[in-house]
Amino acid sequence: MLELTNLDASYGFLQVLWDVSLHVDDGEFVGLIGPNGAGKSTTLKTIAGLLTPKGGKVLFKGKSMNAVPAHRTTQMGISYISEDLNLFVDMSVRENLLMGAYTVKDPERQLETLDFVFELFPRLEERKGQRAGTMSGGERKMLAIARGMMSNPELLLVDEPSLGLAPHLVTDVFNSLKRLQEAGVTLMLVEQRVNATLEITDRAYVLEQGKIVMEGPSSELIENKHIKDAYLGI
Amino acid sequence: MEQKTSLADALRETISENLAATIILVATAVLAVWLGISAGLSQVIISLVTGGMWALMAVGLALVFGVMNVPHFAHGESFMVGAFVAYFVFTPIRDYLAQNPNPALTAVAPFAGMIAAALAGAVLGVILERLLFYPLRIKSRAGEWVMNAFLLTVGISFVMTNGARLLIGATFRGIPGYWLVPPLEILGTRIAVDRVMAFAIALVSIAALWFFLGRTRTGRAIRAVSQDEVGAQMMGINLNFIFPLTFSLATAMAALAGASLLFMFQAYPTVGLTPLYFAWFVVMMAGLGNVAGAIVGGFIVAVFQTATQQFAGIAWTDVIPTALMIVILLVVPFGIFGSEMEE
Repeated sequence: MLELTNLDASYGFLQVLWDVSLHVDDGEFVGLIGPNGAGKSTTLKTIAGLLTPKGGKVLFKGKSMNAVPAHRTTQMGISYISEDLNLFVDMSVRENLLMGAYTVKDPERQLETLDFVFELFPRLEERKGQRAGTMSGGERKMLAIARGMMSNPELLLVDEPSLGLAPHLVTDVFNSLKRLQEAGVTLMLVEQRVNATLEITDRAYVLEQGKIVMEGPSSELIENKHIKDAYLGI
Repeated sequence: MEQKTSLADALRETISENLAATIILVATAVLAVWLGISAGLSQVIISLVTGGMWALMAVGLALVFGVMNVPHFAHGESFMVGAFVAYFVFTPIRDYLAQNPNPALTAVAPFAGMIAAALAGAVLGVILERLLFYPLRIKSRAGEWVMNAFLLTVGISFVMTNGARLLIGATFRGIPGYWLVPPLEILGTRIAVDRVMAFAIALVSIAALWFFLGRTRTGRAIRAVSQDEVGAQMMGINLNFIFPLTFSLATAMAALAGASLLFMFQAYPTVGLTPLYFAWFVVMMAGLGNVAGAIVGGFIVAVFQTATQQFAGIAWTDVIPTALMIVILLVVPFGIFGSEMEE
């Protein structure tokens, strides 16, 4: 479904990604782990079209995405849930969710997805009239994930959903991602919680200083010595 | 009983959170009532008419700033274009009707001028955005945009005023009135039909804009861009559609204001200056980028102006409201209704 080949990316003169190659197959749940500043978010931003790659290729369903702007990638079926959430703070929860379905023209389908999302996050239904800016951190995160699902994406890119969340909410969020995979969505998750990520994903890549240093099935990586030493602290 | 105290508490909380807005609103209401008692209802109605027009101008400014981050200093030239278009469309029709009287046509002819002005404004808005703002946005680096856009609007203002002087000439072109019928009697006060219509046009346009922004898919997309540009792109919203649309709407509203006030402001190259200043006055007082604030603010400023004219003399019209704005900004720098800059 998604393939990156020899991707280079930079902010101005500062190169962040070097020769990154990875692929995500249909229905897969792939993790991208690594320390702070390794370029994980940059990778997602490049796929989402918010950043134009400096070199290499991004292929989505066989089409080159290199010059495709962010709004087009959403229309093509990629949904990106950013680390800073980018919620519409002066809109209600419901309005935010409907904005998420901007690319879905059929109102009935919008409402169907809305029901699905409310079922996944009952808290959001309780708060549907509340202004997004007045919600707690955990609720905002849920709203951002729910909003990202409203466009019925084929590929969901999730950036650090656990950041700043209470432990029981992290479990909730991870479980909802797993449920999305079961519903047929392909997912790519960027995380710093290595253990939890490796437990939930099928495969994972390790990104360090802008380069992929390791890849493999999550069940194998979790046993790997480097991973254990560097990330799990066992 | 308990219900009552909680309501009182809620009210107290709202007031203390929006103290500046409350004080200004109460002061405006008191001023309006005082104006009505001491100078007659006509002064209050004049405030309403001017207020509607300032609101129509200010809403465009607020929208353009909120959505595109453009501090628009050529907004007055959109007003000027509207005034000229209305003049050149309306006067031939009027002259024709003078020779071939037709009461029905005479009643609707003014609308031809206004609609033409609004359409011209809409087209002008798209052209300016695509031809000037779009390339500038591509070339501007992060953090430079607001200043660049500001300088560009000042440049547009110079070129358009001098262009109008060159092409059309520096003569005043006005009309005695759109509807030359006896004034209406409203609550014992006589008021010209043109004023009533100008007020109605402002209200209808603002209500239509409000509905559009709040209830339609595209309107919601405009609000989304103003709240979070990156988030809006992530939702699949194309900024290259939203920006020209927003600029076009704002320009059309300013042109409509210029057209419907042609009986008060004669069309000439720099006619837009006063409306521009007052629209900025409204927007800065209400809070930059705050559309709802701009609507209320338009009326507040108009009441201040009329009261100044009435109680201090016409020479003070600009001085006292401007001094007041300086004081307001010193106390609440983000405007009385809050600005998106605050967040």
